[in-house]
Amino acid sequence: MNEVILSLMTFLPLLGVFILLFIPSNNHGLLRGFTLLVTVLTFLVSIPLVTGFVTNADYQFLLNIPWIKAGPFKMNYNVGIDGISLWLVMLTTFIMPIAILSTWKAVDQRVKGYMACLLLLEVGMLGAFVSLDLFLFYIFWEVMLIPMYFIIGIWGGKNRIYAAVKFFIYTMVGSLLMLVAIIALYFKGMSAGVTDFSILNFFGLNLDPVTQTWMFLAFALAFAIKVPMFPLHTWLPDAHTEAPTAGSVILAAVLLKMGTYGYVRFAMPLFPNALERFTPLIATLAVVGIIYASLVAMVQEDVKKLVAYSSVAHLGFVMIGLFSLNQMGVQGGMLQMLNHGVSTGALFLIVGFIYERRHTRLITDFGGLSKQMPIFATIFMIVTFSSIGLPGTNGFVGEFLVLLGGFESKLRWYTVVASSGVILSAVYMLWMFQRVMFGKLDNPKNQNLKDLDAREIAIMLPLIFMIFFMGLYPKPFIDKMAPAIDKVIQQSRIRPAVAATIPVQPSMQMAPQSVKPAGNPAVPEGHPAVPAGKPAGHP
Amino acid sequence: MTTTDIFIALPLLILAVGALLTLLLGAITRDDTVGTMIGVATTVGAALWLLQTPSALLAPTLGLSAATLPRLFGFFFTLLAAGTLCLSHGHNRERGISGEEYPATVLFATFGMLSLASATNLLTLFLGLEAMSFGFYILVAIDLKRTTSGETGLKYLLPGALSAAFLAFGIALLYCVSGTLSIHDAMQLTLPGGVPDLVALAGWGCILGGIAFKLSLAPAHLWTPDVYQGAPAPVTAFLSAGSKGATVLLLLLLLPQGADPELLRVPLWGLALLSMIVGNLAALLQTRVRRLLAYSSIAQMGYVVVALISGKGGGYRAAAFYAIAYGVISLAAFGAISVLERSGCGDTLDDYRGAGSSRPLASGVLALALFALAGIPPTAGFTGKFLIFFAAIRSGEIALAVIGILLAGVSVFYYLRIVIALYSHREGQLPSATTHALEAVVLVVAAGIILLLGVWPTPLLALLTHAFP
Repeated sequence: MNEVILSLMTFLPLLGVFILLFIPSNNHGLLRGFTLLVTVLTFLVSIPLVTGFVTNADYQFLLNIPWIKAGPFKMNYNVGIDGISLWLVMLTTFIMPIAILSTWKAVDQRVKGYMACLLLLEVGMLGAFVSLDLFLFYIFWEVMLIPMYFIIGIWGGKNRIYAAVKFFIYTMVGSLLMLVAIIALYFKGMSAGVTDFSILNFFGLNLDPVTQTWMFLAFALAFAIKVPMFPLHTWLPDAHTEAPTAGSVILAAVLLKMGTYGYVRFAMPLFPNALERFTPLIATLAVVGIIYASLVAMVQEDVKKLVAYSSVAHLGFVMIGLFSLNQMGVQGGMLQMLNHGVSTGALFLIVGFIYERRHTRLITDFGGLSKQMPIFATIFMIVTFSSIGLPGTNGFVGEFLVLLGGFESKLRWYTVVASSGVILSAVYMLWMFQRVMFGKLDNPKNQNLKDLDAREIAIMLPLIFMIFFMGLYPKPFIDKMAPAIDKVIQQSRIRPAVAATIPVQPSMQMAPQSVKPAGNPAVPEGHPAVPAGKPAGHP
Repeated sequence: MTTTDIFIALPLLILAVGALLTLLLGAITRDDTVGTMIGVATTVGAALWLLQTPSALLAPTLGLSAATLPRLFGFFFTLLAAGTLCLSHGHNRERGISGEEYPATVLFATFGMLSLASATNLLTLFLGLEAMSFGFYILVAIDLKRTTSGETGLKYLLPGALSAAFLAFGIALLYCVSGTLSIHDAMQLTLPGGVPDLVALAGWGCILGGIAFKLSLAPAHLWTPDVYQGAPAPVTAFLSAGSKGATVLLLLLLLPQGADPELLRVPLWGLALLSMIVGNLAALLQTRVRRLLAYSSIAQMGYVVVALISGKGGGYRAAAFYAIAYGVISLAAFGAISVLERSGCGDTLDDYRGAGSSRPLASGVLALALFALAGIPPTAGFTGKFLIFFAAIRSGEIALAVIGILLAGVSVFYYLRIVIALYSHREGQLPSATTHALEAVVLVVAAGIILLLGVWPTPLLALLTHAFP
């Protein structure tokens, strides 16, 4: 039973899409209800993952079936999760029903297509998180693109086409280079005896530093676009502003995590030497991103754009945490990924609520809403606090661990600068909150605004619960991911035996004649090789 | 003639007899349905026959082979012709193209493709290619009521005739060097590796020149946009899928037989690079859907040539896979275009606006085909591109692979422009049009194959691994 849970969960939404095709397209209620049912079922199916998860560093719920086999390459349908992907999977299945509920009234054109796109998107996201085969991962990674492109391009705002194309092309260019790197990595692996695309094979490889540099750059570019990191972030504000509410929620809560997840799962542990070399660059970009995005967020007039820029800043913290490469930092980064999913998802929902009522998102159009909408004001306040990381809410735990971890690591001075971002985030969030909610209710159009209805409160309650739960008792989250994080950190540290100094081993018969080894071939992990010299930068 | 000979030649005979029968029946009845029915029955019959493995793989007296590759491509070409005939039926009725000559010409062209596929000597190969081309010269100009038909036909005929002359002269030069028409021996002698014979070099130059025309590789691509634009949509589908597939197959029959095709690397490298650059960049500027797809086909053939250069890294397999995948995608794309262009709807991107809601099936299939052309998983186009770049990197053609992949990223932009047009809002409704049942079947089957080759390519890959060990 354990083996099939992941596949069942991943493909349940796909099954839903097929059934959706047979529901009459003018019966909007049934379409929405059915989609909600599918996502709730998916969430229920995913619950045994948490309850049945054994806290250790191994991959669990494994399923490995041969899939494509031709000539020299073999791809397997290889899925499984560890403590790192577990929570991201849970975040995805948790956010999806909320996203579906949020579009109950907002989308009334081509509802069938919209629901099908949302479900396909869920297949892609879950598939990417559970894949343990590089090729399979790449396929799911690309599969996510198409539904998101349609969600922005068909159901988006005024400038939707520009935003959709920008989103698609940015992501596509990055991932194509990653594909080259995946293929090249496979050939490097082949000369060390790797026979399929399973990532477990590649963690043990000791690639020479030059190869690592190029491959790290290709992977890192693809992930940096997705995160997004400064200066590749420009697609994000456009995509967020134009996307419908559910699109923004999913984009912020899950799609951006694909980038950071990619770093933890692939770019960091696969290429430790290159990681060491590029950490200063990436940390610089992350810090610049935090400060720059915070400053830009401050002057935004559109609430949604402001939240979008705050995402860029928050993800910068995640990157600092991950790249500090110690238990606290990576834990903080991982927690911050989940927190950002919950609180920024909630912020986009809130923006959606007022947009549905007033069809504007300009801060100047509002003011004094708290008198008219007290429930809304309370919820908005809690979410705002969570986003700026007030103690007691989830944001605090993540940010604190990131700063602590970063300060303890080589990134100490970067962290010091980055911590000013914490203050800046309080400035722009609270200032926005004040201008929207407090002051005089002088705009006549705002005087008849209705407070949140039962459906809207029901959407927000689980998020509010998670905000406090993760803020007050983060232990279960941290405990489950700690062993996996230890393993990643260990894999991402430079190994003492660097392949560049090891002579070619006669046992490598796997190397095909036609492959010209660029640099020296790699050796399997644990090979008793004696380094002739220590690599530069090794402590 | 032994029974094995007849066994191997039977698909060709079926097609020839079917074509003649169609022509003869034209004298008796004017109902086009009969012609289409005979055509589909003939092609499907030939395809089914090709599924059987004959007792011997060669018919030496006839110069025909029935090895895995010829039979696989024969199967593909015959089913392609069946699909084209099904698509044409409704289209021709609406456009007023009537007469038995249409199905008969399709069958003759298929006959040419099939004889090319099963050829074991250079003469049969050339004759097959030309028989196919003659069929296409007629088909592209068959819509006599359109004023552009004559222009289209001429634009295809003149470069085509020139390329035939080049090919014939090139084959003559190869014969001059090797003294044999047998493909295997001629290739061994003219692609020996090491210092090339000057006459053989000239011969290969002529052959590549001819093939560049047929595959519409830059700089011999200028006919492509006009012909894609002017021909009836089902014919464009057949031309794009069949004629290009057959030409790729021709190279696949020749190159792997050579002792060392290194000699051809530099010219093919140049052709691939130019085609990818010219095709992708020119497609960016197009506003008419068919011209856009024509330029994209130039780029796609550039990718195939990348695979042919990387033969020793598994590139031949990749080229064969891509030729078939591209054929199915073309059939789906132009089949959908044939439905969309119905009842006076124009052919510019603006005319396609809003088609997504008024003609969901055709638009959906076209969108899928475009995603496949852009190389996005899980489609046949992705698997094909993956195999090509895999082979290229493995053979050390890393520069070409990286350029190709970056240009593939560029190509996403123009493919998406069509998808955007399909699903964007339109003031007022498109004129309504019916999708014929036969068309719907072809579109759904083609879309199914595109997805199947993306998700489960193993059976086809296993066959190709058998053909190119």
